[in-house]
Amino acid sequence: MSVVEEYQPVFTGKTLDRLREIFTRYPTKAAAMLPALWLVQEARGWVSDRSMVEVGELLGVTPAHVRGVVTFYTMFHQHPVGRNFVQVCTTSPCNLCGAEDVVQAFLEHTGARELGATSPDGAWTVTEVECLGACGFATPVLVNADFVESVTPERVPEIVRKYK
Amino acid sequence: MPDPNGLVNLTIDGAPVSVPKGTLVIEAAKQAGILVPHYCYHPGLPVAGVCRMCLVEIEKAPKLQIACATPVTDGMVVHTQSRQARDGRMGVLELLLINHPLDCPICDQAGECELQDFTFQEGRPATRYSPAYAKRFNPVEDFGPDVLFVPNRCILCTRCVRFMEDVAQEPVLNVSERGDRAYIGIHPDARLDHPWAGNVVDLCPVGSLLSKDFLHKARAWELDKTASICTGCSQGCNITLDTRDDVVVRIRPRPNLAVNRYFICDHGRMNYRWMNRGDRSEAPLVRQPDGTARAVDWDEALERAAAILRGAGGAAVALISPRVSTEALFLARELLASFEWTGAYQLVMGEEAPLAGVPDLALRAERAPNARGADLLGYGPDYAAALRAAEQAAVVLVLDDPQAAVRPAGALIYLGTVPPEDGSDPGADGTLRSAELVLPIANVAEEEGTFVNRDGRVQRYVQAKPAPGMAQPAWWVLGALGARLGRGTAPASAAEVFDRLAASVPAFAGLSYANLGLGGRVIGADAGVPA
Amino acid sequence: MGFPHNPHARETVLLSQYFGDPEARSYKGWVKRGGYEALQQALAMPPAAVTDVVKESGLRGRGGAGFPTGLKWTFMPKEKDKKKPHYLCVNADESEPGTFKDREIMRWTPHALLEGTLITMHAIQADVAYIYIRGEFTEPFAVMEQALAEATAAKALGTFKIYLHKGAGAYICGEETALMSSIEGKRGNPRIKPPFPAAFGVFGMPTTINNVETLAVVPHIITHGAAWHKAMSLSSPKSTGTKLFSVCGHIQKPGNYEVTMGFPLKDLVYELAGGMRPGRTLKACIPGGSSVPILNREETERCLLDYEGCVAEGTLLGSGGVIVFDDSADMVYQIMRLARFYAHESCAQCTQCREGTAWTTKILERVLAGQGKMQDLDLLLDLAENMTGKTICVLSDSCAAPVVSGIKKFRGEFEDYIAGRRRAMVA
Repeated sequence: MSVVEEYQPVFTGKTLDRLREIFTRYPTKAAAMLPALWLVQEARGWVSDRSMVEVGELLGVTPAHVRGVVTFYTMFHQHPVGRNFVQVCTTSPCNLCGAEDVVQAFLEHTGARELGATSPDGAWTVTEVECLGACGFATPVLVNADFVESVTPERVPEIVRKYK
Repeated sequence: MPDPNGLVNLTIDGAPVSVPKGTLVIEAAKQAGILVPHYCYHPGLPVAGVCRMCLVEIEKAPKLQIACATPVTDGMVVHTQSRQARDGRMGVLELLLINHPLDCPICDQAGECELQDFTFQEGRPATRYSPAYAKRFNPVEDFGPDVLFVPNRCILCTRCVRFMEDVAQEPVLNVSERGDRAYIGIHPDARLDHPWAGNVVDLCPVGSLLSKDFLHKARAWELDKTASICTGCSQGCNITLDTRDDVVVRIRPRPNLAVNRYFICDHGRMNYRWMNRGDRSEAPLVRQPDGTARAVDWDEALERAAAILRGAGGAAVALISPRVSTEALFLARELLASFEWTGAYQLVMGEEAPLAGVPDLALRAERAPNARGADLLGYGPDYAAALRAAEQAAVVLVLDDPQAAVRPAGALIYLGTVPPEDGSDPGADGTLRSAELVLPIANVAEEEGTFVNRDGRVQRYVQAKPAPGMAQPAWWVLGALGARLGRGTAPASAAEVFDRLAASVPAFAGLSYANLGLGGRVIGADAGVPA
Repeated sequence: MGFPHNPHARETVLLSQYFGDPEARSYKGWVKRGGYEALQQALAMPPAAVTDVVKESGLRGRGGAGFPTGLKWTFMPKEKDKKKPHYLCVNADESEPGTFKDREIMRWTPHALLEGTLITMHAIQADVAYIYIRGEFTEPFAVMEQALAEATAAKALGTFKIYLHKGAGAYICGEETALMSSIEGKRGNPRIKPPFPAAFGVFGMPTTINNVETLAVVPHIITHGAAWHKAMSLSSPKSTGTKLFSVCGHIQKPGNYEVTMGFPLKDLVYELAGGMRPGRTLKACIPGGSSVPILNREETERCLLDYEGCVAEGTLLGSGGVIVFDDSADMVYQIMRLARFYAHESCAQCTQCREGTAWTTKILERVLAGQGKMQDLDLLLDLAENMTGKTICVLSDSCAAPVVSGIKKFRGEFEDYIAGRRRAMVA
């Protein structure tokens, strides 16, 4: 016997109200795709296949269309990630300024150990990202929605402590 | 200078071409007999311009242009074979092949693969992609009832995605991920089970989308291809019957912009196994006084039939299948002309399944190809009344309606592709199995003929394989019988029957096999037009 | 939080005047600094007159392509079809490696962008504007959100509607047609042109797309006039006004520097941005964001920062992202990083880009791993040729540019890896 976990819709109450307000901004419902997916990720931390079906139903597009979009944009998580999601910019300008050492420091201090993997306590996932658009503030790091500039390996322990 | 006919004049590879305004260079080139290699472009789909294979040089343009997205302009000079254009396309081919598995020996598409063809034509002789690099790998996926996806062979032309999105208008396929990680995706809850989904297999220029039905059944070069008409419904989609060693192994659409454009539905696509049935009527059977049936030659069988018809008078009934050729229906009617005759067909109905993106194209509810032809020749749909009339008739002619549950008082002649299937015991009195004569006829794959589709378009189909045993086309049987009854000479071909039909039935006036061609003509629209 | 520097004497601060001034972020603070006066002035003019002023000013798009802004606006239908709303898309998807100017404009002077947006909407008779801000720009997004709320409350928008649209991680959405696809809720795929956005843009309607910096300049042009803007030019008369240059990489004082068009790159690097780190010398410089050809030291020291000056040195002004490499930089590795960036960001539509960017990266990785062959360099160049000028958008060309210029100017470094003179890197 298998137990199928029942899916709880994201878009109820206030979240649904927010989506309805977003619908007013565009001439088509389908255009609310990115905002709707952001709302899903805000609520669930990632975008599951079932959530794609829900978004598709609300926007009048097929789940396959939603999936094509979700997989195009790197900021949408297709799998659950750690409570704290760290994105370190490692594109050329930051690389010149030592971004790779910053990545190593995060992997070490968070216990995530491997890029893309989640730490055993479920608290951290660390990834490399391409250009965060703050090359003059190398190395920029996004911790969840917080943009942290000029991160050096030395500053990493303090940042990790702050989010623990 | 503007052309007086409103045409645009241009030069392609030195050849002058005149085409209507708005024509794309790739289509204009076709008119000059030049096929510009391409993958993503398909005339039945919206232009994507992504494969970049159809690069051509256009004078005065700063860089190579894609022929599939560039409309012609007056005075344009196009070079498809210049060094620059060939290098551009060779570059695309090289890149399409770096991640391709090159598993042609086990690929169903081999022999009809556009990647093979164009690589052979203008690809690089050897790869420069180091064998040290792993090729992209994704496992085979089951997309739907008849579609298998082999992602490793995919070149991401997106024809399948665009077909489902714009033509079927049920976008269940997508492009997932980005860059060289991209692949054709489907949502885990979705299935590629649209009634027209099978077209993605034909559209796929490589062996990435495959028909499970055809999987490993034949190599493309072993196939003989014959123009035919789908018998699945009254739409009359133009098809090709692919045969291997006289067995129909696949049905594919044959383009006809006026009927089915480039597509056929899955119902039609799968509607061929019966054409290969082994349990066929193979010899004429004549009822003996003791009730048993005896196999005889055609001479004896026709003589017996002629005797029956000569000796009878009064009412006659024809029970016909709406899958029988117009030619046979015409001759059957001629044969019964001296009687007070009625003719009827039984029409199987099903669910209509339209192809949303193409106007007037659907799997039609009427699941037979020639009901319109039967109507035009005086047959009617009141099958029950005809069955009742048959009980009193002097002669009943059953034309490939093996399930006819008829109990005639008079003589019963059955022309059929298959033995009677009315379920009664062989030889039982007053059923199809007790017919005086059972005459074996060819099925649609085994003869030449025409059908008239729901819109009145008369369309020819051609013989793809021999008929089994002694079976003959119905037109031959009926024509020979007519000759024995003294009604002129026996027709020598289906074309000749059609000529007689055109001369005698006003609706068909002016039509002939020659002017029907393989695209067909609409009754009325063409009436009276000399050949 | 990164804080801007005090302007250098040789800077011409126009856009960056209030960088670092928190009060300028508020609606009230902006009005106090003369904000929204240009809007009132523009609204009193016929739309075509506003366009004429911008056209006359010589302003060219600051997003990278350098297309004349006023001319672009004239492509919009003059007679507005009631059934066809006009749209303005504001490109705030700043993602070009080396560039971080739009971020600072939005962070510090959000109302400058809103004001420029409103003036432009008036000029092109737009009903709705979408400001497409890349998803990673969390702080600029919050600042813009606040500014928009304040401006709306102050009724500064009139009947115009402005919405913020948040991206979700895709460099290619900075390409104008990809940006439109993204707003429509699709994959950010660039589209074939024609049709051009002015005829068939977002939602199939007439659309203009402008970069943040371009729009932020517009109020200044309205206030001071076309002649004033046109006069700001140190070299070529075809390049006018000021430009924000984002300086980063191996440099003492990274940051945004605003100088008049035609300013010497040498002075920007050595003087304004503080020059090299002690003991280091300049090896190379990318002047316009990662998509443009790399300059060597001599070219860098000759190059004048305007559209024509960059072309004269075989490169492009691009978005003004100046990436500086000193003599410690491993050019092979850096070029591989750039190629990897483009391979990661390719939208997957065109064959040359999808496969070519990834293959280029693989070859470079192999060279770095000490397993390269001399033929690999020719292969890279041939591949780059195949990737240039043959695709829908220029992402593929952008990947090829640093490879071609890198091999041409720093061939020795590649050969050192191949010949085993340089220690191989383990991938």
